[in-house]
Amino acid sequence: MSENIIGIEHVSFKYKGSEMGLLNDISLNIASGETLLLTGASGSGKTTIIRLINGLIPHYYQGDLAGNVTVAGRDVAKTELYELAGVVGTVFQNPRSQFFSIDTDGEIVFGPENIGLDPKAILERKKSIVDQMHIEKLLGRSLFELSGGEKQSIACASVSALLPEIILLDEPSSNLDQGAIAKLRDQIALWKSQGKTIVISEHRLWYLKELVDRVIYMDSGNIAHEWSGSGFASFDSEKINELKLRPLVVPDILSPSCNGDCECDGDCDKVTDLPENEEGIVLKDFYFSYHLNPYLFWKKSFKEDDPNLSLCIPRLVLPKGAVIGVIGKNGTGKSTFLKCVCGLEKECKGVIKAYGKEYKGKQRLKLSYMVMQDVNHQLFTDSVESEVLLSMNEEDKERCDEILDSLGILEFKDKHPMALSGGQKQRVAIASAIAADAKLMLFDEPTSGLDFSHMEKVGELLKRLADSGNTVLVATHDPELIEMCCDYVLCIEHGKLGYLKKV
Amino acid sequence: MKLDPRTKFYMILIVSAVVMLSATTPFLWGLKIAMTLIPIILLIIEKKYTSAFGFAFLYIAALVLTFAFLSEESTGLFKSLLIGYSGIVVQFLPCFITAWYVIRTTKIDEFMSAMQKMKVPDGIAISLAVVMRFFPTIKEEYASISDAMKMRGIALGGGNAAKMIEYRMIPLLFSCVNIGDELSAAAITRGLGGKVKRTSVAELRLRLVDWLLITAFTAVAVIFVVYKYFL
Amino acid sequence: MSSETGSNKLKAKDFITVGIFTAIILVVEFACGMLGYIHPFIVASYVIMIPLVGAIPMMLFYTKVQKFGMITIMSILIAIMMFVLGMGFLGAPLIIIAGVIADLIAKSGKYKSFKKTMLSYGVFCLWICANYFPVIVTAESYRQDLIDEGYSAEYCNNLFLAINYKTIGILLILCFVFGCLGALIGKAVVKKHFEKAGIV
Repeated sequence: MSENIIGIEHVSFKYKGSEMGLLNDISLNIASGETLLLTGASGSGKTTIIRLINGLIPHYYQGDLAGNVTVAGRDVAKTELYELAGVVGTVFQNPRSQFFSIDTDGEIVFGPENIGLDPKAILERKKSIVDQMHIEKLLGRSLFELSGGEKQSIACASVSALLPEIILLDEPSSNLDQGAIAKLRDQIALWKSQGKTIVISEHRLWYLKELVDRVIYMDSGNIAHEWSGSGFASFDSEKINELKLRPLVVPDILSPSCNGDCECDGDCDKVTDLPENEEGIVLKDFYFSYHLNPYLFWKKSFKEDDPNLSLCIPRLVLPKGAVIGVIGKNGTGKSTFLKCVCGLEKECKGVIKAYGKEYKGKQRLKLSYMVMQDVNHQLFTDSVESEVLLSMNEEDKERCDEILDSLGILEFKDKHPMALSGGQKQRVAIASAIAADAKLMLFDEPTSGLDFSHMEKVGELLKRLADSGNTVLVATHDPELIEMCCDYVLCIEHGKLGYLKKV
Repeated sequence: MKLDPRTKFYMILIVSAVVMLSATTPFLWGLKIAMTLIPIILLIIEKKYTSAFGFAFLYIAALVLTFAFLSEESTGLFKSLLIGYSGIVVQFLPCFITAWYVIRTTKIDEFMSAMQKMKVPDGIAISLAVVMRFFPTIKEEYASISDAMKMRGIALGGGNAAKMIEYRMIPLLFSCVNIGDELSAAAITRGLGGKVKRTSVAELRLRLVDWLLITAFTAVAVIFVVYKYFL
Repeated sequence: MSSETGSNKLKAKDFITVGIFTAIILVVEFACGMLGYIHPFIVASYVIMIPLVGAIPMMLFYTKVQKFGMITIMSILIAIMMFVLGMGFLGAPLIIIAGVIADLIAKSGKYKSFKKTMLSYGVFCLWICANYFPVIVTAESYRQDLIDEGYSAEYCNNLFLAINYKTIGILLILCFVFGCLGALIGKAVVKKHFEKAGIV
């Protein structure tokens, strides 16, 4: 290997007003052209290291910093952020918030324009990057209509356009499905072949194991382990489990997206095998489309044979009291399905038959409760307790305590929900669902961006919810989660029912 | 069809100025309506049919209502409400359509470049670009929050106006602050706010259509003023 | 050494913050504006609604303002957007002057003192009266125009009863008073939510 391009010497850091993500006397050298993986539990300091290298610490995030960071011969603390722009590029976790432009083209050229390159040179760069990445079909579109994976592709292109020697990725796969992750892997491989130095902070490991040269395992602000890439790739599942990491191999049987081959041959199509008595929850006439806009006073109405339907499920029987994993590619109708089931899409006239009753239209909202992917949107009050009480028809503080206790968040009763960690916020939302007496609980990507032990906890919780009589539908891209807790898998493809089978 | 952002700004300037002057004769009304048609036609050219026809319908409906019911004898609460409503629509819709057209068809990149050409300070250009970037974001976030409120059955805040505002505003602000932090970090690591002069790949050139439109709008403004005040 | 934090010059981060909060304030203005279509009297009640509702985002914004210029820029942006949306340029001087004075007041309290913040927000709220400028400044000709156009005398009377050059003083005072009141409420909300959650 050639000389070091990144040098972190005895760095300690503590964020202002927070105990999370601190670093204790870290030293780390990264050679030019190396691909390094940072892994470890949430809050162990992975992201903090990324921020040290791209200069966001100390220039953007405040805190107590000791030690020295040099990147490509520059002292980061003494270099302005915009001077680092052409040297270090960062792909962030959330595709929704990292773009500045409204259109894809503008986003790709945003960086080079900022550092004042000649427009002709920028256009040449843009063309070569678009060719390399095969993203021609994304050009000329609004960023707001792209899927998470497509947004992430544009983010990668935008970083590439600055031609940085060093590329950092901060949990880039958090919001992506399997197909999009494969694309991300190809992108990283491309950068690697161009000789870039790459540092990735990540929980999902399966797509990286063949790419990385070195793996750093972080534990509460310290470098706990260091392995070579090949050594790491050969770890068996026991060792991985012990380290509380997500698996290196994705379970095959549960190919997490249907990968276009949903036409199962005979025995896997078990939809009709389910009991059709009162044991099931029957969904009927679930049709929905985003393509038909209502014109003034004409109401939307959907027919089964409409080719533009985003969701078309004439009849589906869900097993009661089970955890059902809903899988399928991004943009294939999982979220639409969940939204229709819980009655958020008014135009979807589906009927749910369950518990001897029929639920139509708005009544579906009473039967079900959805924990959204961005749980921040569904926390309204100033304490965990009032959040739960808000969901009850009549305030019952004892029952509230019971619910909080059963979810292990009783100690945060008086805290502001937004002051909690992601996993805890999710539990607050679940507590509200229980308090609202929802029988059908829907989860939209509850484990995106969680580390292994948090995912394990979510899995256990889902199981427990099902054991106490609720029916749980969980849309997910994480095969590990399905293996952990799902009784059934429901595959949705192009808005249609692929299969529903027992695990 | 690509228009220069400066032409679009000029359109806004003229439309905003003309709507301030009230039309008092059929000819002036005709002029105002003709001026409003231009951005609607531009929207159709940009294939934004839904908004184009929606605006057209609203504008025509408001015009018809205003003319049908407007008379010195029209009194009573209902009629005054109706007239108040349609009058304001007729008054402000032309601006709104133009603004909508400009915001929906101007890329941030072109916008920044045009601002630079017009010697607007970088800071104001950046802030204004963020305002444009943030309207759709607020819409998205608000849609999720409103879904969450429906699920909890608290959309009306239990009849309490303060709660209604609180439940909408608080999650929205939390989201916006988060997104803003991440957006700033992502923009700064890509060199925004540096000392070098920003360049742009957006080629700003006043083409024939631009000149035609500029001439048309100038003509509208001049004729309007001349007919209103001097004839 | 200058950096994104520290130093007194406005940085990219500050401009982005201003942009975001301006967008939110404008959304508040539109939302209240929609109600105003219903009756001329409600148009007059902007001076109560917007200062109160807008106080929540604004008090959060004040916690993020540490440097001179942020409030000024916000007022310039509002003036531009008001112009774009057809409110004309007559109100622009009022909006910007209110912004600059608000900024100076907050600066004199080093952006920390709540009393100064309250005063500053009260002054800032005067921009809302720019909504009425087209009606007031051109009142006489505007009224004649309305009647020429065929509006009923009743509608005109209502409109000008609520909004004219005599009441504008009262409306300005109301803006200021409800601005200060709003600041108190907004401060309480910031404390209840954002301080408790530890993000300011």
